[in-house]
Amino acid sequence: MSKNYSILDLIRRNRSPLENHLIDGLVDGRVSRRDFIRHGSLLGLSLPLLGGITTAAGFGGMPSLARAQGAPGATIRVASSVPAATIDPVTIADAGGLLVMQQVAEFLCVDGPDLVLQPALAESWKPNDNGTVWTFKLRKGVKFHSGGEMKADDVVASIDRLADPANSSNALSVFTGILQKGATKKVDDYTVEFHLDAPNGNFPYMVSSDNYNAVIIPASYKGDYETSFDGTGPFKIEKYTAKVGASFVRNENYWGPKALPERTEFTFFTDVQPMILALQGGQVDIINQMPVLSGVALLSDPNVDIISLKSSAHQQLHLRCDDGPLKDPRVRRAIALSLDRDKLVAGLMKGRATPGNDSPFAAVYPSTDPSVPQRKRDIAQAKQLMDAAGAGKGFKVTLTTERYLEIPEYAQLIQNWVKEIGIELELNILDQSGYYGDAVFGKSNWLDSVMGITDYGHRGVPNVYLAAPLKSDGTWNAAHFKNKDYDTLATSYIAALDLEAQKADAGKIQKLLLEETPVIFGYFYDYLTATAKGVAGVQPTAMSQLFLDKASKA
Amino acid sequence: MRRVSLSLVTLFLLSIMVFLGGQVLPGNVGRAILGPFADQRAVDTLNHTLGVDRPLLTQYVSWIWNFVRGDMGMSYVFRSPVAPFVVDALGNSMKLAAVAFIFVVPIGILGGVIAALNLNRPLDRIISLGGLSVTVLPEFVTGIILILIFGVWLRWLPISAAWPRDAGFFTQLYYLILPSLPLFLVLFGYIARMARSGMIEALDSDYTRTAVLKGLPWRTVIWRHVLRNALLPTITVIATQTGYLIGGLVVIETLFRYQGIGSLIFTAARGKDFPMLESGILTIGIVYSVATLAADFLYSVLNPRIRLGSDQ
Repeated sequence: MSKNYSILDLIRRNRSPLENHLIDGLVDGRVSRRDFIRHGSLLGLSLPLLGGITTAAGFGGMPSLARAQGAPGATIRVASSVPAATIDPVTIADAGGLLVMQQVAEFLCVDGPDLVLQPALAESWKPNDNGTVWTFKLRKGVKFHSGGEMKADDVVASIDRLADPANSSNALSVFTGILQKGATKKVDDYTVEFHLDAPNGNFPYMVSSDNYNAVIIPASYKGDYETSFDGTGPFKIEKYTAKVGASFVRNENYWGPKALPERTEFTFFTDVQPMILALQGGQVDIINQMPVLSGVALLSDPNVDIISLKSSAHQQLHLRCDDGPLKDPRVRRAIALSLDRDKLVAGLMKGRATPGNDSPFAAVYPSTDPSVPQRKRDIAQAKQLMDAAGAGKGFKVTLTTERYLEIPEYAQLIQNWVKEIGIELELNILDQSGYYGDAVFGKSNWLDSVMGITDYGHRGVPNVYLAAPLKSDGTWNAAHFKNKDYDTLATSYIAALDLEAQKADAGKIQKLLLEETPVIFGYFYDYLTATAKGVAGVQPTAMSQLFLDKASKA
Repeated sequence: MRRVSLSLVTLFLLSIMVFLGGQVLPGNVGRAILGPFADQRAVDTLNHTLGVDRPLLTQYVSWIWNFVRGDMGMSYVFRSPVAPFVVDALGNSMKLAAVAFIFVVPIGILGGVIAALNLNRPLDRIISLGGLSVTVLPEFVTGIILILIFGVWLRWLPISAAWPRDAGFFTQLYYLILPSLPLFLVLFGYIARMARSGMIEALDSDYTRTAVLKGLPWRTVIWRHVLRNALLPTITVIATQTGYLIGGLVVIETLFRYQGIGSLIFTAARGKDFPMLESGILTIGIVYSVATLAADFLYSVLNPRIRLGSDQ
């Protein structure tokens, strides 16, 4: 398709230099269409505008989000993990709880399944020149279920509550070093500014569904969420019974298109196996989150559809850099070279994963530099590295990890593979509380072990993975990796507003981490949702959220 | 009275053991609620809000003082009173246990009696070996097989034991059939075997021989002389299974999504929810003590040679 420069010039007139640079990248071929849409949404360009630009640039319009609408009025039944604690937007930390909360409460923007940021309670957003201030324009006419209109005061209070160290905020780890209490400012009733501690090019993700605590609730909230379940979402609470289940009804006053289902019912389970039996027995329609190994039986069940989302969720294999037998980077590289990533993806994960390249830059991120070569299994090179490091005769080391998902099986595979280069691996597999302990250095098997595997959930941008587990002062730096060059690059990446600048930093980080290998990223696993045949319009996210407003049953 | 006092001392010691045991578990309440990736300041604030940063003795004394006055305290994790959780869960567990008992006790005893009366014949072998075989199968194995057969393939019975809201007696019973079946299979062999050995011993005793020789009808001999003595050990076995049936069904409760007290204390232990854990375990302890006292009482009624508190 040919480019329409007259339309492109018209579009450029009202755009910032940053936005125009992104458009130039698309037109010149430096930025792919997919990356353009993702990064454009991050900068606050609306989806229709992004579609107009891609059409004018000769790449065709946006893929249509419109689906054949199913019949309204269904009751959709969901099997969910049981909320582990009281439902409170400030403290909530588990998949079951955030799923319930997300049915009634909404975010400023939503990190969609394709990592494109979609407007929700905010209609648009944009950064200042250096990314230290982000301005969000709020949607007008949005009503809470309790009746009041959602305005800037509610946004300021909701976000301030999460950024306040005096609260028990689970989002404090996201906002530390980025946004302080008092730095969220009301400009007018429908405009809010976020004044950041430092430049941040990916900030909208921090107040999107990616930060699952960041729902907007009334400013008057006093910490008793289960008495009201107030929010602005397409469903309202009907009944919630702790440890048992929850039901919701359609919100007839919703600001957007009304939800198709009349009711939704969530049944809580403490284990995956009963969820699978309930789906097979016709007692539920959806399993929100299905681990691949536990759900193998459903992958080939003709009565079940699997929604498979590419995600950045992964298991980090940390290798302690400051002491012990893994101190030499050549040994760490040798271990990484002994892993057969193709077998991990095809065998362990049944094809529902993509290989990792020992950095947090998953293929799903637009900023990932694809020109960095993929690390492959090479036993000969691994043995050479072991010899060069003076470890040719091998050694014995303990791999400590948690009993969660496929991690024990992954640990056994690693045990077999490293044996080929002379490393005798002893496995110490603990339950999760035993592994994480107090989650501070000196009181945690996770942070104190020589070698360990830790599950990290999906994030729409790699900022969290780049900082806490890898920066010298990172609070989750189990590898005890301290590298000034890395710290500088990570800070630069996080600050960058421009996609090409991010990509340049990402490439350098990817190469540095391949050389140092403090953490092995073997694979990034897909987020799987199972639905009964005939159930349509279900939209999960890899953050365990489930949007049911367009769901229907045949 | 002496036995009641001993039970109270046992429960007090149990509460201390649970409390001390809970302290050995790694992590802390705030960390369990907020997760491993939460900021340490948030964890500290939450621990302070919940009062779990107070000295251990203060926490324990405060809780036990309230418990003896009928207040089980507030759940750390759910931040609401513990009592409704425990009462509901105990009620559910007792319903499931009752359904299982109603079927397994008479059928188990009948099986044991039939086996003893047909000693070393094929029927005895079938009951003994069959009962033993199903007893050693773990509940989660029999549970999954039963769910697949009756819930998934035939769709005769609901897979989940959680009945709908406002369900009546018969609906609740209908929902409890499937989860009670694995318990039936576990307990049948045990009870039948005890009844069988008691019957064999009683049938071989002098008083039975005397009853037969003095010309009593066989039916009367069995009902009035054999069964009365043969069932004594069986009653003890049934009483000791009460603790298991009330508090030990975590696997069954998980598999059938049933809100019993077993899974309640299991999740409380994982979340270090001390008031919930202590209250749940002490409640099970009280039920177990009552069941044991009831068994002792029944034993004395059936066997006049035994006198409670006697110095014979």
